Amino acid sequence: MSDKNRHGRSRLSWRTVLIILVIFLLYAYGLQVTKVDLQEPLEPRRQENLVSLLRDLAQPDFFSHDTETRNTAVSIHMPCPGEIKGTQVTIEGREALMVPNCATTTQDRIRISGEGFQPNADGVLAWRPIGATTSRRLADFKVSPDGQIDVTFTMPDIRPTEEAQKIEIVEILSRRITGLSDTTMEALDKIVETVLMALMASTIGTILAIPLSFFAASNLMRDVKAPLAGIMAGVILAPIMGGLGWWAANSAAQPLLGLIGQNLQFLRTDLGFFNFIGNFIFVLLEMMMQLLPLAIALIGALLAVSLGGRFGQQAAMHMAEAPARILTFALTIGGTAVLFIIIAYSLNWINLFGIREFLPEATAAQIKLFAIPGLVLGGIAGLLSLRASPKYHYAIGILIYTLTRGVFNGVRSIEPLMMGFVFVIWVGLGPFAGIMALTLHSMADLGKLFSEQVENINQGPVEAVTATGANFTQSIVYAVVPQITPHYIAYIFYRWDINVRMSTIIGFVGGGGIGFVLNRTINLTAYSQASVMIIAIAVVVTILDNISARIRSRII
Amino acid sequence: MLKVQNLTKVYEDGTVALKDVSFEVPDGQFVAVIGLSGSGKSTLLRCINRLIEPTSGEIWWNDTHISHISGEELRRARRQIGMIFQHFNLVDRSSVLTNVLSGRLGYINSMSSILGRFPEEDVQRAYTSLARVGIRDKANNLADELSGGQRQRVGIARALMQEPQMILADEPVASLDPALAHSIMRHLLQINQEDNITVLCSLHFLDLVQQYSTRAIALNEGQLVFDGTPQEIDDDKFVEIYGREAERIG
Ligand SMILES: Nc1ncnc2c1ncn2[C@@H]1O[C@H](COP(=O)(O)OP(=O)(O)OP(=O)(O)O)[C@@H](O)[C@H]1O
Ligand SMILES: [Mg+2]
Repeated sequence: MSDKNRHGRSRLSWRTVLIILVIFLLYAYGLQVTKVDLQEPLEPRRQENLVSLLRDLAQPDFFSHDTETRNTAVSIHMPCPGEIKGTQVTIEGREALMVPNCATTTQDRIRISGEGFQPNADGVLAWRPIGATTSRRLADFKVSPDGQIDVTFTMPDIRPTEEAQKIEIVEILSRRITGLSDTTMEALDKIVETVLMALMASTIGTILAIPLSFFAASNLMRDVKAPLAGIMAGVILAPIMGGLGWWAANSAAQPLLGLIGQNLQFLRTDLGFFNFIGNFIFVLLEMMMQLLPLAIALIGALLAVSLGGRFGQQAAMHMAEAPARILTFALTIGGTAVLFIIIAYSLNWINLFGIREFLPEATAAQIKLFAIPGLVLGGIAGLLSLRASPKYHYAIGILIYTLTRGVFNGVRSIEPLMMGFVFVIWVGLGPFAGIMALTLHSMADLGKLFSEQVENINQGPVEAVTATGANFTQSIVYAVVPQITPHYIAYIFYRWDINVRMSTIIGFVGGGGIGFVLNRTINLTAYSQASVMIIAIAVVVTILDNISARIRSRII
Repeated sequence: MLKVQNLTKVYEDGTVALKDVSFEVPDGQFVAVIGLSGSGKSTLLRCINRLIEPTSGEIWWNDTHISHISGEELRRARRQIGMIFQHFNLVDRSSVLTNVLSGRLGYINSMSSILGRFPEEDVQRAYTSLARVGIRDKANNLADELSGGQRQRVGIARALMQEPQMILADEPVASLDPALAHSIMRHLLQINQEDNITVLCSLHFLDLVQQYSTRAIALNEGQLVFDGTPQEIDDDKFVEIYGREAERIG
């Protein structure tokens, strides 16, 4: 016994040493791969950059100011026109001395000192390019209490000219806040856009996720079983009825869309202040009309599945063995062929691995081409189907569950940033692309969370309601929905909060919202403006985080 | 009349929960199902309304071949058979009235039930059922605001909504204290006698069996080991049903 123990311990310690060794090697390699360089951050140039960035960020551009300034201009030459010396200017009692008064290269250090300036005033040195109306900041300074200044600057990237350039010594004599800056106004505008984007994405995502979440709940789908005849009848009917639904709804929706476009434009233009409400209604109507064919097609397909399922079930259960077998055989051939054609057609459409090259161009010819292998496969499946009794109930629910779960997990694992990118290409720059990306991601994410909620419900009430003779739909409405509703509501808020954060990122690829502006200000190195955006995001995220936590704790 | 023939249930993990069980229950009987924990009582009751799929054997309910129907037919059979559970199985976040009304789902179509619309006479029936078990005043409470005894009465009211011809009760009083247990059993007995509803009720305590049932069937490891009146359970039979180690207390 003790021998065995000792043996066990020594094995364990060997394993520990091995693990430590592996971890050590992992980090050593990691350091090399990630190019950690401890010298770079310590370089003075880098540190200067960091300090100036942090200082800009620390001065968010919240307010617009009314500033009174006084300029003192000094001329400078580049390149040096001969002898190098200093320049002295005297204006209204202010004296400034610039040494040297010319530069040979753009990196020369030049010093300006002077006296007679307004004590304690803040100021900047600026270079005004020839013919320009705005100037570029070179350095900051502060006038000493006795009116003296002493600043050094680096010659900026000036192209050599004959004419003299102007360096301005700008004192800020007084500064009054006159209101909110344009940056603040834009931040407010965009943060509202962001919050609404996130809200819309969460809401639409939820609406789509709710029905799907039931298909991804194993406890509900486990019991969904049907004889093969029912399943295959559904498979055959679904594309037919779905297609018919699409065609019918589309032919009805197109003229209606036209009518809306012609007759309801006044909603967005003639309501004055309430235009935004009119626009909302207009967009809703338009969206409904565009989604109508899709919805009708889906309903048609679902109806087909339920009808086909019922027909196949009744037939398989009530027909005599032999005809039931023949029916199952025939339906299996048809169903498999239809499935094959649909899958092959979609792969062809997306041109997987470039298969288009090898296929005819016309749709009809393609379908004919797919039909042959489809029917062959169908024949094989049909023969296989004969091995079991036509009354055998296949666990089709588990298949649906696996597929839905798989899609959820797949879509969830794609970064919303990537989705934003795709949608920006599809529908153009702006918040609409952002909404679509976030909606898609929310749908998958919520669908998964919701279905886990459904799996965690108390099964007892479902059993009880089923025992009263309720059907599948009724047992969901009466025994499942009441148990999950509070969790679903809580998740909507949780997702809203997440979507606000995500939409700031999606903005970087052009998906609208405040992230779009943040990206722009950063690219323009306008860091004190970027600071405003960052603060706005932080504030809103904190507030939403709080609200959503509070609502969640109240509901659940 | 319920007829169970050669009923066998083997779970997916290989557990044989019922082995070749056969018995008949004429209308109006109050039958106690007894046996040790794990002997298959719940499995038997759930096979009768097909909450559990039997592995083999036949179940007849009047003219309905319960073990061989599905879909709409199964629903119609189920709505004639009420069920009461040890843990009540109410929907906690719904009102008592909604819980009771859900007993009526087998009679109304999907569309109106999704919209929550029950015919006026069903609502009246729900109040009557609640009154019958003495908790009409709790109709608008949430189910989880009720005490255990009250919750089981809601369970009974829900079963009554089905206008059942038979009630399956799976240890209906096992989570209740003895006083409440007797009150629930009295309600069941009253329903059995006044409405001539067959009751099949699994029970753990022999005194309850003797006080309320007219007949007892006993399971031991999935096999039917006794079928007779409660009075016939003498010491020998007791050992046969519950095993050597068990001691008679009831
Ligand atoms: N879903 C299941 N899967 C596998 N085995 C099961 C399952 N349900 C029950 N069993 C087993 O079947 C046997 C009978 O169980 P059952 O619940 O019918 O007994 P019971 O008499 O109702 O017991 P109790 O008095 O504890 O409720 C037990 O051995 C149990 O472990
Ligand atoms: Mg049990």
